Amino acid sequence: MNKTKKMVFLSLLVGIAVIIHIIEGQIPVLFPGIKLGLANIISLFTLLILGWKETLIVVILRTIISSMYGGSLSTFLFSITGGLLSNIVMILLYKYFKDAIGISSISICGAIFHNIGQLFVAAIYIQDFKIYIYLPVLLVSAVVTGFFVGVAVNFLHNHFKAQNWLKN
Amino acid sequence: MKKGDKIVIIIVLSLLVVSSLFVLIYRNANKGKALKAKVIKNQEVIEEFDLDSIKEPMEWLIHDEEWHYNRVRIENGRIRFSEANCPDLVCVNTGWLSKPGDIAVCMPHNILIKIEGEKENLDELSY
Repeated sequence: MNKTKKMVFLSLLVGIAVIIHIIEGQIPVLFPGIKLGLANIISLFTLLILGWKETLIVVILRTIISSMYGGSLSTFLFSITGGLLSNIVMILLYKYFKDAIGISSISICGAIFHNIGQLFVAAIYIQDFKIYIYLPVLLVSAVVTGFFVGVAVNFLHNHFKAQNWLKN
Repeated sequence: MKKGDKIVIIIVLSLLVVSSLFVLIYRNANKGKALKAKVIKNQEVIEEFDLDSIKEPMEWLIHDEEWHYNRVRIENGRIRFSEANCPDLVCVNTGWLSKPGDIAVCMPHNILIKIEGEKENLDELSY
């Protein structure tokens, strides 16, 4: 892939991730703090297609831009810690255990670390580590949403591999 | 399913069991204690309520100079944010807090309510 094509492709991915991130903020959920994590589809897809540097670019740009659209400094800190932690975990898992574990497992681990990271920021912010009593609920939701994100990425990746316009 | 997937499942399940156990122990240890709700703004406790001693439901409006407001509703044994003008409304959607350890946070306005279990104060009971 040449440089220009890669840049255009990457900015498309960032754009899609920002839109998903903003829309999913409007979807009502059972419990505050639980998110569907749909924007993670794009992060994981970028990891599979382009590589780890591009994944970090996508997640950082996604959080900065969507915080500009609706959010404050505190919500920005919240999302960037969770996003970075989850993406670093997914990158490491993909790099070293790619052959041993499936995409869904990588995505579930990412979702779990996203929640752990967010709870950590929240605990520092309110200076009370008792907020970790919400961890079991968040773990269950991370497994469910992480699994479906993994399935979605599998579909996307298989469909993408069938087309080879990206290679030239 | 690959081999590593099973290891991931086992790790996740054990994490879930361990964390649920901790929560259960914490909930049990605080059973029967008097409920005390603390309202904290900008890291300072601005108001405390003894939730067991509240008879009549009441409402309380917290606002600052910049037109940010949060309305708090307090009833016997429970407390919640009933209304706010923050963008995400996570605080309102958290709903009622009635157990020690429950927390409702409004990140944009930097306000939170948390419930702590306090030991029964014998002096107060026996006057």
